[in-house]
Amino acid sequence: MSTKEQNERIELLQGTLDLLILRTLLLGPAHGHAIAKAIEFRSDEVLQVEHGSLYPALHRLVKRRWISVEEGTSENNRLAKFYRLTPKGKNQLALETSKWGKLTAAIAQILRATE
Amino acid sequence: MNLRKRMLNDLDREIEEHIALETQDNIDRGMSPEEARYAALRKFGSVVRAKEETRAVWISVWLEELVQDIRFGLRTFRKSPVFVTVAILTLALGIGANTAIFSLIDAVMLKSLPAEDPSQLFLVRWNARNAPNLHGYMSSGDCPSDLRFGAKNPSGCSFSEPMFREFEQAKVFPGIGGFANAGTLALTGHGPATTVTGQMLSGDFFRTMGIKAAAGRLLTASDDTVSAPPVAVLNYAYWQSAFGGSQDVIGSTIELNSVPFTIVGVAEPRFNGITPGSDYDVWLTLSNDHLIGQSSLFAQTDRRNDAQQWWLAVVARVAPGTSPAQAQAVLTGLFRNGTLHGDQPLFNSGEAPAKPQPIIHGQLRRPDPGSRPSGSPNALVRLKPLQPPSAPGPTTAIPQADNPEITLVSAQEGLGGIRSNFSNPLYVMMMAVGIILLIACANVAGLMLARASARRKEMAVRLALGASRVRVVRQLLTESVMLSAFGGILGVLVAYWGARSIVAFVSHNSRSEGFGFHVSIDLRILVFTLAISVFSGILFGLAPALRSVRASVAPALKEGEASSNAPKRRGARWFNINNTLVVSQMALAMVLLVGAGLLVRTLQNLRNIDVGFDSHNILIFSLNPELAGYKHAQVNSFYRDLQGRFTETPGVRSASYSMMPLLSGGMMMTAFHWPGTPQEKMSESDVLHVGPNFFETMHISLLQGRNFGTSDFAAASASLTPGSNKVRTPVIVNRAFVQKYLDQENPIGKQFGEFAGDGFRPPSPGYEIVGVVNDTKYGNLRRAVSPMMFTPQTSGAAAFELRTAADPQAVLPAIRKVMAEVNANMPLFNVQTESQQIDRILFQERLVARLATLFSILALVLASIGLYGLLSYEVSRRRREIGIRMALGAQTGDVMRLVVKQGIALAVVGAVLGIGAAIAAARYLSSMLYEVRGHDPGTVIAVALLLVVVSLVASVLPAKRATRVDPMVTLRYE
Repeated sequence: MSTKEQNERIELLQGTLDLLILRTLLLGPAHGHAIAKAIEFRSDEVLQVEHGSLYPALHRLVKRRWISVEEGTSENNRLAKFYRLTPKGKNQLALETSKWGKLTAAIAQILRATE
Repeated sequence: MNLRKRMLNDLDREIEEHIALETQDNIDRGMSPEEARYAALRKFGSVVRAKEETRAVWISVWLEELVQDIRFGLRTFRKSPVFVTVAILTLALGIGANTAIFSLIDAVMLKSLPAEDPSQLFLVRWNARNAPNLHGYMSSGDCPSDLRFGAKNPSGCSFSEPMFREFEQAKVFPGIGGFANAGTLALTGHGPATTVTGQMLSGDFFRTMGIKAAAGRLLTASDDTVSAPPVAVLNYAYWQSAFGGSQDVIGSTIELNSVPFTIVGVAEPRFNGITPGSDYDVWLTLSNDHLIGQSSLFAQTDRRNDAQQWWLAVVARVAPGTSPAQAQAVLTGLFRNGTLHGDQPLFNSGEAPAKPQPIIHGQLRRPDPGSRPSGSPNALVRLKPLQPPSAPGPTTAIPQADNPEITLVSAQEGLGGIRSNFSNPLYVMMMAVGIILLIACANVAGLMLARASARRKEMAVRLALGASRVRVVRQLLTESVMLSAFGGILGVLVAYWGARSIVAFVSHNSRSEGFGFHVSIDLRILVFTLAISVFSGILFGLAPALRSVRASVAPALKEGEASSNAPKRRGARWFNINNTLVVSQMALAMVLLVGAGLLVRTLQNLRNIDVGFDSHNILIFSLNPELAGYKHAQVNSFYRDLQGRFTETPGVRSASYSMMPLLSGGMMMTAFHWPGTPQEKMSESDVLHVGPNFFETMHISLLQGRNFGTSDFAAASASLTPGSNKVRTPVIVNRAFVQKYLDQENPIGKQFGEFAGDGFRPPSPGYEIVGVVNDTKYGNLRRAVSPMMFTPQTSGAAAFELRTAADPQAVLPAIRKVMAEVNANMPLFNVQTESQQIDRILFQERLVARLATLFSILALVLASIGLYGLLSYEVSRRRREIGIRMALGAQTGDVMRLVVKQGIALAVVGAVLGIGAAIAAARYLSSMLYEVRGHDPGTVIAVALLLVVVSLVASVLPAKRATRVDPMVTLRYE
């Protein structure tokens, strides 16, 4: 993932993409491309997913049974895999969101203190 | 598992679709299709990496689960230590036995030759339609020769030195080496006189094989010339043991057969001789052949320059990437040219009748009793004279061409050495240990089943909680593979110990002093162990694992353990997997027991053979005065002197000597013309040169005629002297000779073998029979008694036989003292008792019988444990039933019968099935058996009884436990 400008590149913490995917799927099932687009759109194009990195993350979430897969038809009218948040995944999202909140708050506090 | 496969299978399509959608988006934004696709790809990043990372996700998850399974397995193991211990020990024995035998097979059959890039090495072999016309042919036992008296299509791998030198000079190979056994050499000049085994090599041999020196230097081409000073290279192990690995040895001098040799170096440790299993102490150059007297044993001429003496094995290195076919064609050309168009045509070229040459040394070729060709019983010196390729005659008809050819065969396969002696027993043993592994697996499977019943509730709970069946089976299989992995680790230790014991037994008992094969646990063996561990883990684990998830969840949860006692059809109760496992264990054990029984019977039969002489209390040792400088004529009186001194030694009853001892593994044969048969027909007989008093000393009874007297030895000596061809050699023949050749005729005074000479063989006065003795076994025990003639020995090497009053070993110090007085520089070879010698020629039978007995006992014990385990489990499972029976008035005896009956029934069914399998399997043993048939009823009945008795014992223990069931307790239970 990188910002639009090369010099503003931000290294995201590991697992962040997982969190973003889960959050995106909270709105409803989506296929891989749609998920990528949604993340970009919802971050005002600040966060751009390198689309290739999406798939290992999706598979990891499937294996952990946080999301499930079903067959569907894409805009192109072709068979595609749709990913859907499972109840387990919903719990995980809540957990991760609160963790994320605590983490960013803590880091922000430290950064403010040292400024 | 399925999810993973489905996800990964669809990944390509998914990624393609993703890029297509992105491209479409970009087009919608106004890009050109090409630009759009390029941007989409850039945005996606590396497709390959995405795929790899996705796959890695699944692998890491799989590993995580594996670690989970292993942790869980270890926890459950801790809860049932007895089960785990029994299972691991059983598997350790099964896997260990397999690994031990495999490590022997690896060492004997599979190890690559001790050379650089051994795949480039090729053995040079010849073949033709008829035997070549030779003065002598010797095979050192490195590779099989098929050259029999008058047989068609002979082949072999020995060549004359002139032929080899032509091959060498043809320069079609990057390297070519010739070699021959130098036999046992007397070593003096380094402590007391002793013997070493030596091999002669061509100068370029070490370079061709790519052998390095561990110290000093190796033999080079410049050493292999007649004018070069004699030099020797030592075997590393011999250097360590005899010289303490001292560097000072390099440059020092030792005497071999009284010839001084300078030690120039030590070969690298892995090299004991190029042929697997060979074990030489020193290496000399071919140029020393005549010096150490090896040549003179086979011909009075120097065999080095004789194109009609074939004695060198030849191995060539073929340049990498080139086919041996071209070199083969060149060698065939040289070989044809040398053998068809040389000074003496050795084969029939088909152009003109061949002119056979005289066999210079007469019809008998003398072996060297000191020479021990690779210690192989198969490598005995071939003494049959070779028939001329075709009978010469006035006919002008052109005989068929012999068409001699050269083939290059991979040295790895061609240089069999003594491998072939071991291959059959090793494969039989591999089958035996394979059966043991099956029994061990069946045994552990039985244990797992019993345990699975105990864990039914656990499994049901896990299934009910939503664990997939596949996941549960995987968990259970992980547990079984863990068990077998532990078994495998212990098994490697068992194998290490077992293989060492077998090697120790072989080296103490085989005819050679050393076992040239180096058995070690290497990577190949560890991979083998790993493979059979995993294989057996799955083998014994799969059925129980599948069974435990097949169970329906509800009843197991509701009723607990007692549910397994649900009423079943009577037939189904008997034909269940537990009983089947025990029956198959019994049947497999029966196969091994029958095999072991047959091999033990074979050994007994061989031991009980009437050898025709008294083999107890005889001390044997060989010596060769000619190697210590005695001249031909002096040898006779030297032997008489020794014989006299030995006879006077306290403890010795009588003493004699012969060219080789009886039952030494080696033998000689001769061919002669029998009067009344067609002139060109040759008759055969075994032959042995003996000293005075031989028959009295060996206790061989004289049936007719007389013993050899002084005049007979004089006559025999005279018949060897050229020019005095009037005296017939007096011979004593055995009964088989009389039966075959004389029928009703009086044998005494019969003359035969007279030969007028025909231009290419000198005239011979032949033999005259002076006595008839009882039949004796000669070369080995298995060979049937054949016609045999004894002739007076007057020269050459000899083996002394001393008949002692008590333990033959006890007189040895006195004998050594006598020898020291007579000549301190004459080492004694092969000092042993006749009984030890018989043990040695039976060593393979003893090894096989011993191992088979060990393995069959192991199999029986494992099968009994299996039976015991099953019955114990049944007793605990049927505790309630037994309690009810006892409450209803069943007596102790009734309860015991209930259990024992099942045990015996299983054993008997197993034994009956096993007998059938054993008789079928015994066919593979038939070549190893002696005077016992594969379905020998005595053996079969005896081992079947043994099996049933042992099963009875295994059944009584759980039956006793059943009688201790307290009806009050069991009825209240649950």
